[in-house]
Amino acid sequence: MSLKREGFTGPTNNHKRTGWQETYSLVWPKTPIDTPSEEMVKEESPRVTKRATRSSLNTPQSPLLEEMRKEETPQSSKRATRSSALKSCSSRTRETQKKIDFRSPSLLRDLVYREEPISFDALCSSFPGRRVQILELLQLLGPMNSPLLPLFIYGGASTGKTSVILQIFRHLKRPFIYSSCRTCYCPRILFETVVNQLPHRRSSGSVKRCEKPADFVNLLHDGMSEFINNLKGNSSKLDSEELKEQGSTGTMIYFIFDNMELVRRWPKYLEITSMLFKLYEILKMPEVGFIFISNSSLDTYHVNTGFAEPMPVLFPDYREEDLRKIFLRNQPNQKLYSSFLDVVFNSFYRMTKRVDELSVAFAPLFQKYCELFSDKKGSVPTEDKKRSLFKRFGEHTAPALNDIFKVPSHPNSFKIEAIKEKVKRRDAEVTDDIEFHMPISAKYLLISAFIASRNPATLDAALFDSTGGGDNRKHKRKMSETSKEKKELAEQELIMKGPGTFPLERLLAIFQCISSVAEFSLENEQQVEDEIVSGGDTGIMSDVLLQLSTLCNANYISKGGSCPLEGSTRYRSTISEEMTVKVARSVNFPLSKYLYRR
Amino acid sequence: MESESLDSPPASPIANNGENNLQPFFVLHKALPRKGSRKASETGKTRSKLASLSSPKAAEKSEETKQVGEDDYDEVPLEAFDFVWSKIDRTIKDVLLNINISVFDVIHQWVCESFSTIKSAGTPGGLHSYPPLTDITCKQIFTGLVMTKNVEFVDDLLTFKELAMHLKSHDSHVVTLSSMDFTAKSGIGGCLKSLQRQLIKFTPDTADISILVSWYSEPENKGYPIVVIIDDMERCNGCVLSEFILILREWVIKIPVILIMGVATTIDAPKKLLTSNALQYLSPCKFTLGSPSERMDAIMEALLVKLCTGFDIGHKVAVFLRNYFLRHDGTVTSFIRALKIACSKHFLMEPLSFLCEGFLSEDSHSFWMEMCESLPVEMHKCAFDLPSCKLIDDVSCLSTETLVSGLSAVKSLQKDWSSVVLCLFEAGKFHRIKLFDIFCEALDPNRQSGAVEDRVKASSSGIFLHSEECFGQRKTGFISQAVRRIKDLPPAQLSQLLQIWRKHTEGITEINVKVEELLSMLDFDGESKSNKQDGIGSPRKVTSPGESKSPKKVRTGSPKKAASRSHLNTEKDKEAVNLKAVKLLECMVKDYLKPIESLPFHEIFCFKHVDILQSALIGDPRKMIQVDLLKSHTYLHCSCCNKSGESLLPSMNDTSIIYQLAQEHGDLINLHDWFQSFKAIILPPSNTKKGKRKLQMYPLSKKRKVAVEIESISEASIQARFCKAVTELQITGLLRMPSKRRPDFVQRIAFGF
Repeated sequence: MSLKREGFTGPTNNHKRTGWQETYSLVWPKTPIDTPSEEMVKEESPRVTKRATRSSLNTPQSPLLEEMRKEETPQSSKRATRSSALKSCSSRTRETQKKIDFRSPSLLRDLVYREEPISFDALCSSFPGRRVQILELLQLLGPMNSPLLPLFIYGGASTGKTSVILQIFRHLKRPFIYSSCRTCYCPRILFETVVNQLPHRRSSGSVKRCEKPADFVNLLHDGMSEFINNLKGNSSKLDSEELKEQGSTGTMIYFIFDNMELVRRWPKYLEITSMLFKLYEILKMPEVGFIFISNSSLDTYHVNTGFAEPMPVLFPDYREEDLRKIFLRNQPNQKLYSSFLDVVFNSFYRMTKRVDELSVAFAPLFQKYCELFSDKKGSVPTEDKKRSLFKRFGEHTAPALNDIFKVPSHPNSFKIEAIKEKVKRRDAEVTDDIEFHMPISAKYLLISAFIASRNPATLDAALFDSTGGGDNRKHKRKMSETSKEKKELAEQELIMKGPGTFPLERLLAIFQCISSVAEFSLENEQQVEDEIVSGGDTGIMSDVLLQLSTLCNANYISKGGSCPLEGSTRYRSTISEEMTVKVARSVNFPLSKYLYRR
Repeated sequence: MESESLDSPPASPIANNGENNLQPFFVLHKALPRKGSRKASETGKTRSKLASLSSPKAAEKSEETKQVGEDDYDEVPLEAFDFVWSKIDRTIKDVLLNINISVFDVIHQWVCESFSTIKSAGTPGGLHSYPPLTDITCKQIFTGLVMTKNVEFVDDLLTFKELAMHLKSHDSHVVTLSSMDFTAKSGIGGCLKSLQRQLIKFTPDTADISILVSWYSEPENKGYPIVVIIDDMERCNGCVLSEFILILREWVIKIPVILIMGVATTIDAPKKLLTSNALQYLSPCKFTLGSPSERMDAIMEALLVKLCTGFDIGHKVAVFLRNYFLRHDGTVTSFIRALKIACSKHFLMEPLSFLCEGFLSEDSHSFWMEMCESLPVEMHKCAFDLPSCKLIDDVSCLSTETLVSGLSAVKSLQKDWSSVVLCLFEAGKFHRIKLFDIFCEALDPNRQSGAVEDRVKASSSGIFLHSEECFGQRKTGFISQAVRRIKDLPPAQLSQLLQIWRKHTEGITEINVKVEELLSMLDFDGESKSNKQDGIGSPRKVTSPGESKSPKKVRTGSPKKAASRSHLNTEKDKEAVNLKAVKLLECMVKDYLKPIESLPFHEIFCFKHVDILQSALIGDPRKMIQVDLLKSHTYLHCSCCNKSGESLLPSMNDTSIIYQLAQEHGDLINLHDWFQSFKAIILPPSNTKKGKRKLQMYPLSKKRKVAVEIESISEASIQARFCKAVTELQITGLLRMPSKRRPDFVQRIAFGF
């Protein structure tokens, strides 16, 4: 027993990366797989790893770790019973045991990147401007089977963090377990995804329910130690070919947690982030490496200290020449594309440096560029030509700069619409139609909501009541300089605040005012001779609340507050001014008269 | 709301002896047991019933035992309604499907294209969880934005259901999600879960994308696109939908998801709703559904003009429906609902309405003959008591023949009327005049009586005009507008129009002949022109003689070019044809556009009761609540309150008392005052007076304690009653509870009716 311990602690004492592997492989195969010893190792392991991790030597134990330990104690006793049971039947199932043994190395290979490994040069050339980061990461990962302190890769969106790390693993042919906190949108799914990817889980195919961080740690610990033991146990029995195989992948398993910043949106995220960051110390397994990828730096995680901070690796934003290289990388016609970039690139680079945004913006523009200038294929434009190209293409670039989201119609639906369009074009006077149908009462409601949001409530009386208007005028004459200044300040504040909120009653009052005015004017012009009056028309008033909810659903009016019974719900109009003007024009409402202008 | 009413069993009319105020609840309860039996029998039963009625045996029977006979006739309107409505319903469904089918096909084509693009982007690897390293453009999700062109999305629920069916029948996995799946409350898990439930048909407790991946990798599922339809995008929570898109796009190569989202408002709605991060991963494509007014026109055309079911709506009803559609609720669904109400009420109220079946039979004259002869005397009399029959001068000939010939006249005139309306509509199409407008105007019984100007005014009076027509075009009616505009039509369109007219006027031989004449004139023009061009030797025109065998092509092609030459001769000819067409249409309007309401016996087929429809559709719940609260005794019919008249009695309903008391206050009610006056009414006056006096007389005696005790008990209960009543008023929306600013006051919300 003591021998084993020595063997285990040995490598940590003379902690050298090169020496580690030899001692490691020398010592481990000697340990036979019998359960008591496994138990021993587990019991010892806390002390061992405490020594193994340099940085945590002096740090006090965190409360979380304490908790983990506490929870682990009953668990381990359970495990002991299970393993003792296993021991009793192990003699009988030696045959099957063997089978499992043979499976494990190939399972390890499952975790290696599927596609053909790539060379270092290919790796560097596929990521222009990332050579420094790739070298740094390779250095940190070290040679095969060297332990890894947790890495924290961070940098802005679309700077190649995930792609680089995945390609590095493809290059290194090392096993890794990847999980993205985006796809795994809650802790439970994250845990289960990781646990299910563990080699032994894969073979047994069991999905374990795993909700608490503590369960996760236990399962991970179990799985990994079982796996590692298997690996060690096997390597003695393996023939040369499999040894070679194992040698190519190594004995390290890396866990990659992508999109870590999303964890912060989860409830009780502190517990989870600090657990993930501490996993290395909790597990105390040198064969496990952790890599975290995030788009914000470590400072933003509010993690309490008490553990070794992961090694940060920054992926800075791409520089201009890097971006050019990236965009030129996969283009069939390099010259044409580079001339296109000359024309377009600078104006877009000022807006964004993100590869994804740029490539989305460039794709349709380049298509247009090809249509326009494809005849110049191959010819490298001179400086003068460039300038003229820039001017000529400017008309396409400028609108694209502001266009975030462009929706083309399907070519075939054009054919259907063409017939309708023909009719429409004939009377061109109705160019600024609203694109969709809205009942007239909804239109009035929309306008009144806009007025209520735009105008200060104190102005309502002046606008809609004749007596109130008189008062206001008197008031204006008396206004002093200071009050003017005050008013200006208030107006500025109003602009800064954006559309104001209003209660339902105010909306209904304004609606009543403007719709009755509209009705009156219409009736006047339409004459009253005939008493038919639109088949017992009830005016516009009915179902206003229904219309209001419709407008809320269409996101034209936003609703605050919660309890409808309280009546204190406040609304806010979120419609743009152009849209309102369109709507007002369609019902011939003089909107400008009712708007408070500074 | 609307959809519910459509799906629910028809509020079938029950003949309740002449009293027309339909009690909704009563009807609903009664209708339930009948529904099953009717479903089984369907329309065949109606036929047999009617046949048995019309058979001499039945007639004798009805004469012998009137009671039994009338019972038979009680059943008939129901069955006639079922018969007619099932026909209308089928027509509507067909029309709506036909409108959308072309768009559906385009969408399906786009889905196929998108799917092949996704497939070409890369083959999905194994089940590993890391993202494939591909170009960003390959990771975009193809998104179809279907513009529904209506803020109300009720109509489109059905459309999207049909779209799902359509795509499903063309080999795609279809998932229909709604805004209920994208709420902030259920979060991203909610929509993923329902996605999984619909695809895999089993519900795990957590929705994990990896389960979907393994499901899709099964051979029977592989090879088809997964179409996710979200029918009302605007109502979704933006964050959740964005997150959903971000997750899907990470997996889009392994699970080829294609999104279809319904957009009710403008095309930039997704821009407002989604985060920019999610937005750039969409590769959008726009599709447009027919606008509600187009749909409406199609339905009107098929239903009220072309399909003669023997159920028509009067002018006022038409105008009301039109206003309701334009002003209040621009959905086809609510229009259909209104029509259904009108239909059911019509069959319920009009005892002879079952005769409408004659409209659909080939030999309607003999059918009506048979039917009318077997009518019981009351019914017979009923027919001649109709107000429209007072137009008939000859009182003596109130025979069956008169009735039958009157009915036949209605039928034949109705046919002419509809063909003229269709011609007008075709003419108006070039200027975007809606069928509904023409329809309303054509129904107006006063249209023909007045002078031209009057007619114009009458027709537009009370009609809430369209936005565009509001000011510019008000001065003329829609019909005269449509007629006048023919003058300016270019020959190509004119010939198109005449072609359609020829089809529509097949029923009226004289007109049809004239249309043919005009067409031949145009043909002649076209040919002469092409001959001239041949003489000149224009190489473009060489092919045209060959084409001239198919007259349509020449007409559409050559006159345009000829017009550009502006030969004096051809100009004149052209104008002449145009003028002739105008004259023809005017003549048609004058001779054949007879509104149904000007004919005798039209009440049998025509529903004219706007007020009933209005109260059924609009209703005024808040007003009704107020009225009921103020006059509770008229409902309760208790003996005590009746005598009192205006004064308030303690025996009245608490809520009613409180509301009446509230009438005395302004918009703010002091709670304390209110409570005191309530208490004063609740407590019998003598009792309180005595108590007060006692208190005053013996302020320090023991009796006071007793009195206080009694009062305190009742005080608590009074307070409780007061609170309960006030809460009821709050719930009905007549009051608002005290605010923080004014804790002692409640605010009245409703004033007057």
